[in-house]
Amino acid sequence: MKQVEVIEKPSHEGKRKALVLAEDRVGHYPEFREFFIRCFSLDTNGLSKSGYIRGPSGMLYSLVFVGRSGESFPDGLEIYALVDALEPLSEEDVDTDLWAFLRWMIQGIAGEWKVEDLDATGRLYQLPFLSRQG
Amino acid sequence: MKLDAAKLPMPPGHFVHEEWPYEPRFKRVNGWRIHYIDEGSGDPVVLLHGNPAWGFLYRKFIKPLIAAGRRVIVPDMIGFGLSEKPVREQAHSLDGHIANLTSLLRQLDIRNATMVCHDWGGPTGLGFALSNPDRVRALVVMSTWAWPVPPAEFHKRIFPWRMMHAPLIGPYLLGRHNALAGRGMYLSVVDRRRFRDDAQSVYEGILPDPATRLLTWTWPRWIPLDDTARGLERFQWLERELKKSKFPTLLVWGREDEVFDHKTFATRFKELLPHAEGPELVTGRHFLQEDSGDEIAKKINAFLDRIGRRKV
Repeated sequence: MKQVEVIEKPSHEGKRKALVLAEDRVGHYPEFREFFIRCFSLDTNGLSKSGYIRGPSGMLYSLVFVGRSGESFPDGLEIYALVDALEPLSEEDVDTDLWAFLRWMIQGIAGEWKVEDLDATGRLYQLPFLSRQG
Repeated sequence: MKLDAAKLPMPPGHFVHEEWPYEPRFKRVNGWRIHYIDEGSGDPVVLLHGNPAWGFLYRKFIKPLIAAGRRVIVPDMIGFGLSEKPVREQAHSLDGHIANLTSLLRQLDIRNATMVCHDWGGPTGLGFALSNPDRVRALVVMSTWAWPVPPAEFHKRIFPWRMMHAPLIGPYLLGRHNALAGRGMYLSVVDRRRFRDDAQSVYEGILPDPATRLLTWTWPRWIPLDDTARGLERFQWLERELKKSKFPTLLVWGREDEVFDHKTFATRFKELLPHAEGPELVTGRHFLQEDSGDEIAKKINAFLDRIGRRKV
């Protein structure tokens, strides 16, 4: 499976942002929050910039970090696919891109969090595209 | 004219099933629309489900309990079944869910109730019982817990438990792919073929879209794993108050339950409630109602008959 790549802010011209995944509690396990702070320099950027990644399908995604007063930043995270403004999403691409994103995230968090455990969890719950990949 | 959503005839998602011929009822609790059924007459038996189930889990209990002269109330927890499903994780808390149940049962002016508690129906139902002892007569406890960390070795493991509901993975796996109501429940029954043929699609179908499945990964995050956890004080309170309580109690456990295994969990309940009857073991994993619904209903009827005779 190809890797996720962190990229600079791409052009939004002719694109729309399609919400594909939302997390209300990034810091439920604090190492997840720390990973995003490290990866996207959130300790200096704060709310001023979104993060951007390219998925294995080539689709671009915007990572919008959410702050909530009284909680450590970022508290939430919304992932938007940047798609051609009037075109529908390929759900299959989104599914496999998000899975690659989750693997990349777990790899970056490291420590007791292991990609093999994520893969085993995906297999246990029979994610349809994992069985298609054999 | 003010529109009262709780009195609207039917919200979206009307449910029709041959094993669920019950009239849907609704109330407002803490600003949410809660669905429940209320059938039969007599002393009430309140059947409480957990994650990711809904009242349908108790379909085999309802007729035998009514036939024995009891009133049966089955609420769907806010976030599940035909109740309103908030779309923000911050809408859910253990105290909030206890307060939701309290609001419903006070509106119905429930007295002399038997609280049948399973999974998260445990901490919520026991929370109601312990804070409203004048309304409760007895407890039936199945595959749940009511004390602080750690509930089970399983809940501390990364694979599969913590990974399944981890940040972003929970919304992906349990949200986009409905993993808990589908495969998760399937893995937690004994007769998997029967479950797949008779019930799995009902549990999956009642949570049709990712946004409706929020509570399936939110509840696991409320299980305390260390002393910094949310809800820890409420679990400490539950344990403390339960130890003092004298409610007649029946423990029923699935013989094959490998998550809340009876040797650990039923034994712990017996330590807290030495007067409790049981554990009566039946065929079943965590969702023991699916494998042994008729048998458990008989056990509850027999238990309530016994304590009824004692009262006389």
